[in-house]
Amino acid sequence: MIKNVDPRTKLASVICISTLAIIFQNPLILMAVLFAGVFLAKIFGANLLMLIKRIRHILFLFIVIIFIQSLFVKTGTVLIGFENIRILTSEGLIRGIGYLMRILIILISGAILSTCDMRKLIQGLIQMKLPYDIAFMTSLGIKFLPLFVEEIKDTMIAIQLRGIDINQLSLRERLEIVSYLFTPIIAGTLNKSKKLSLSVECRGFRAYDRRTSITKLKMSFTDYLMISSSLLFSVGLIMIDKILV
Amino acid sequence: MNGFIVVETMYLSLNHIPILKNINLSLDRHQFVSVVGPNGSGKTTLGKAITGIIKHNQGHIYLNDKNISLLSLAEIGRTIGYLFQNPEKQIFAPKVIEELSFALKYKKVDQKIIEEKTIEMLHLFDLYHLKDATTFFLSQGEKQRLAIASVLLNEPEYLILDEPTTGLDIKRRKELSQLIDKLKTKTGILSISHDKEFINRHSERIITMKDGCIIDDKKC
Ligand SMILES: Nc1ncnc2c1ncn2[C@@H]1O[C@H](COP(=O)(O)OP(=O)(O)OP(=O)(O)O)[C@@H](O)[C@H]1O
Ligand SMILES: [Mg+2]
Repeated sequence: MIKNVDPRTKLASVICISTLAIIFQNPLILMAVLFAGVFLAKIFGANLLMLIKRIRHILFLFIVIIFIQSLFVKTGTVLIGFENIRILTSEGLIRGIGYLMRILIILISGAILSTCDMRKLIQGLIQMKLPYDIAFMTSLGIKFLPLFVEEIKDTMIAIQLRGIDINQLSLRERLEIVSYLFTPIIAGTLNKSKKLSLSVECRGFRAYDRRTSITKLKMSFTDYLMISSSLLFSVGLIMIDKILV
Repeated sequence: MNGFIVVETMYLSLNHIPILKNINLSLDRHQFVSVVGPNGSGKTTLGKAITGIIKHNQGHIYLNDKNISLLSLAEIGRTIGYLFQNPEKQIFAPKVIEELSFALKYKKVDQKIIEEKTIEMLHLFDLYHLKDATTFFLSQGEKQRLAIASVLLNEPEYLILDEPTTGLDIKRRKELSQLIDKLKTKTGILSISHDKEFINRHSERIITMKDGCIIDDKKC
């Protein structure tokens, strides 16, 4: 694991692997990208176990989507099917596995980015000449996400504490309960953003065009090395893909 | 074991920071107990641990001789009424009247009884004129009253009130005190408060906390 990696380096490598994940079809090459992603996650210290733990509840959903996707591919040799009806073909299976790997790569990219200190990531964006307003809004958006989760958790607790066992309700009633989650979220978010914009105005946000910052990011030799090897790896894979096709 | 709520050598950490240390406590079914202590001493956390909102790491908490780790939040909620320190945390319905009738509706109580009870509560807490108001726009004190009213509507056997008088004006404080006088005869209450007058008026026992420990526990 390498410490103190510049957030821009992480951003660059994540952009590389997620772009590769989208442009490639060949499952073998996708596999290579996936391994590269796992390797990057390791050296950037992303917690993949945590990621698996978090997504295990929706994992079956992915599998179902992949299975359905592969059902629509009719070319290739038939693996499952009766007489004239082709249910699953070899091509479909390969396509499905490809989708799975893509999803995994995107999730790993997310895990890598989540190791960045958000303040530093935003600083990185600003130093890449992104307008401050946009960077500021992005950072606010990121800060609001955990608040959503918090709000939902609190509401669920409040509902249950009224003596209501969600598991014992009928499906219709459960959906009704879900609708109750919206009021606090919408109200809470509106409220917070109103207060926030006031407080930001009061402190003179955008009063001057030029901004200075305490945190200044500086790329080290390792950063340049990692960015260039990510790029080289990407170009290399694209060439290999061209040759295989 | 005696005592309605019993806490035995309980430790609790949040994000690996120890917050509550070696808590031993036994609360009676009919007693008004106050918890006092400086900001950040762990009062709210103690209340949440007893209600099962936050899981404790070590020790045991028993509610009516049942280990709360084995009870669901709903089961605990049927016995304990918990008032959040911030009323916004527990108000989730868009309309005042819906907030009050929410639990009764899902417990399949008869519509007529629901109406009777809600209207009674609305009058009791001076909220009748606001019954169709949007909860989002209520003032802080109105939210506080609505939160207390919705907790009481559930008729819990025990109440944990986290700063019940905060945000209430003098008149409403007095009214709440009078209501608590009535409630005290049949309900046990654990009240977390910084309000000297309120504490002195009601407390039969005062627990003092500091840095996550109980440093004093005396009868009045
Ligand atoms: N999620 C958390 N992670 C880490 N520390 C926390 C968390 N929640 C609370 N704390 C800390 O736990 C301590 C006790 O908090 P608690 O809310 O119980 O205090 P309190 O006695 O109710 O204070 P107050 O009088 O201000 O309401 C505080 O120091 C607080 O910073
Ligand atoms: Mg508190």
